[in-house]
Amino acid sequence: MTDMKTRRGMISRRQALKGAGGLGAGLALSGLAAPAVHAAGGQPIRFLNCETGKGTLAFFTDAAKEYEEKTGREVIVDSVPLGESFTKITNGIRSGNPYDVANVGFIGHVLLLAEEGQIVPLNELTDEYEWGNNILFPLDDKVYWYPFDYNLALIYYRKDLYEKGGLSIPTTWDAFASNCEALVDGRQKGCLFPIGSNGASNWMSFAFMWAEGVKIFDDQWNVVLDNDEMKPRVAAYLDFMARLHETMPPGSLQASYADVLSNVVAGTVGHGAYAGRVIESAERDNPAVAENLGIMPYMDSAGQQTAASHGYDGWVVLDTPNTGPSMEFMRWLTTEKMVDFLHTAPVHFQPTRLDIYEDQRWRDHPMITKYATEIETMRRLVTDPSVIVTSIDTQGPEPDVRPGKVFESFAMPEMLQEKILRGTDSAEAVEKTAARIRELIA
Amino acid sequence: MTRWLLPGFLAVGVVATLVLIVGPALYAVSLSFYEIPSLTADPVWAGFANYAEVLGSGEFWSALWNGIVYAGLAIILQVVLGIGFALLLNQPFFGRALLRGIAFLPYLLPTVIAVLVFKWMVDGSLGIVTITMDDLGLPPIYWFETETASMVSVILISVWLWTPFVTTTFLAGLQTVPTQLYEAARVDGAGPVRRFFHVTLPSLRPILTVIILLRGVWMFNKFDVIWLTTGGGPLGATEHLPVLSYRMAFKLYDIGSGAAVATLSFFVLMIAVTVYFRVFPIEGGK
Repeated sequence: MTDMKTRRGMISRRQALKGAGGLGAGLALSGLAAPAVHAAGGQPIRFLNCETGKGTLAFFTDAAKEYEEKTGREVIVDSVPLGESFTKITNGIRSGNPYDVANVGFIGHVLLLAEEGQIVPLNELTDEYEWGNNILFPLDDKVYWYPFDYNLALIYYRKDLYEKGGLSIPTTWDAFASNCEALVDGRQKGCLFPIGSNGASNWMSFAFMWAEGVKIFDDQWNVVLDNDEMKPRVAAYLDFMARLHETMPPGSLQASYADVLSNVVAGTVGHGAYAGRVIESAERDNPAVAENLGIMPYMDSAGQQTAASHGYDGWVVLDTPNTGPSMEFMRWLTTEKMVDFLHTAPVHFQPTRLDIYEDQRWRDHPMITKYATEIETMRRLVTDPSVIVTSIDTQGPEPDVRPGKVFESFAMPEMLQEKILRGTDSAEAVEKTAARIRELIA
Repeated sequence: MTRWLLPGFLAVGVVATLVLIVGPALYAVSLSFYEIPSLTADPVWAGFANYAEVLGSGEFWSALWNGIVYAGLAIILQVVLGIGFALLLNQPFFGRALLRGIAFLPYLLPTVIAVLVFKWMVDGSLGIVTITMDDLGLPPIYWFETETASMVSVILISVWLWTPFVTTTFLAGLQTVPTQLYEAARVDGAGPVRRFFHVTLPSLRPILTVIILLRGVWMFNKFDVIWLTTGGGPLGATEHLPVLSYRMAFKLYDIGSGAAVATLSFFVLMIAVTVYFRVFPIEGGK
């Protein structure tokens, strides 16, 4: 060290210390000055985004910039996968540095945050619009989230294969299973509905049961899955799914969202469930399949009712010192920028607000124009009161955390596994599942 | 100046350990005595109720058993294969240095990448393994379709990823065994097998003890492989204590019970390590 100090051309320790000290002082002063800089445009709005598509990320970058230019208010957008959203939100609250606006994809989380007084009602943003069926989930007339898409899980089928095989659109379970069996041809399989303990199974595989009129809870939150009315229906659903499983490719037990998407887009299955992302991915990666994709709702056993499975997403505004400016930002986002946002995934982000379906600017997007028939079917599903739009986590007489626990426990996919993997008698599998649900919500 | 260097480094280490390890660990233990439906909810004192509930549930014992099976079988395979590869790579042959480098590669892969690659390779419709087997006229392998197959698959992935650690460590140890010992054994008429059991293994017992200990602790606490492949399924067949703890805390909104499972898991591991050191004292190898 002494050598260094005396050597010509080298920085001495004293000089290094002085330099470091100066740098530190500069950083400290700039840090002290930072609040003054921020004060000019107010406290930045911290926005947690969970839509991680390339176009959507670019949209938020541009929107934040535009909003700052327009109002002087900085918007900081953090993006994480949806699965990490709730942990990020609660960690932010716990650490005293909460997000001001956050993206949630699970009504149970909205309810938890509302019950704890962590989020504010958004009626001033939602009341002025007409909404599709079963999407706002108000609590005592207060709406705590701004749903921006339905993400309904629907059945996608191959129109070309139907035509080639002389098949018609099925309206009963038996007809659907027969079509799946008819489409098995070598490596091509009949269908793919996940049966593993994951969110994909919860989302994609139970709407057949909802179409059959099955309910997990009655109006008093009693578990009725195994009562005299429901048990035969659920048992019949399990028998039907076991039949479908015979036509699925190996791996349905672990099939994730991505697996189902890639199988449908690659054309290796005749039927699969998903939301509009299928069309967007097929259009990009396999246009021949995209042109031949048709959609249908889930059907019941007798051809009387249809259903679609919820997969909604929305935004919540947290109760922070920045709530006022955050509401202003949300008003701007949901009015001036809503169509631009929805266009980042034009078919996948199925609008929840009915006025958007009439908005010419939204309709003018090439993908929406091209797939107008499919879009119209999707719209009908959320406006026709005879179509059952529900999911495991929205079961019950009102929004509640209890169905959320059933969703997260994967009790329902495990009922499928009991039947399909272990060969358990269907009625017994229903009874076991009902008992487990009672234990979960006790 | 230098006399402050050692206490200074020590202080940094102690503070870092307290803040990053001891503090969070104690906090996790404290959570296990409360009923907490979410990270933002006010905790309600529950005493030992979470422990009573967890220990009274079949899920805990099933997860403990799964963890023992997963860690036990994975360690046995990793050690046996690792030693085998190390012995092979210790022999002189052309391209040995390159092969040693390649053998270490799986260990460098981030788990998430390895798991995703494995899942894509064995995908039931599009996986290269599935397609190749179909081309060869062989029936498909149902990697994750039954409870047993799922456990075997997660063990195989773990063996693939972490056998190189055993290989490399054992290989390094092999190079410290004095060659005179082998020569003396050879003069006494010992063949390769006897030389391995009477010279190599006794010489490397301390290293082997540490390898098994480290791999045991790591495998018992290993979360990512199981979470990313099976999520603990099907029907809980691959759910071990770390996955159960996570599921209870972050999926079922029962942070207290999740913390209780984590604390019990820590105690189980502590007891196992204590017993292990009693049975295989490291000093015994000296």
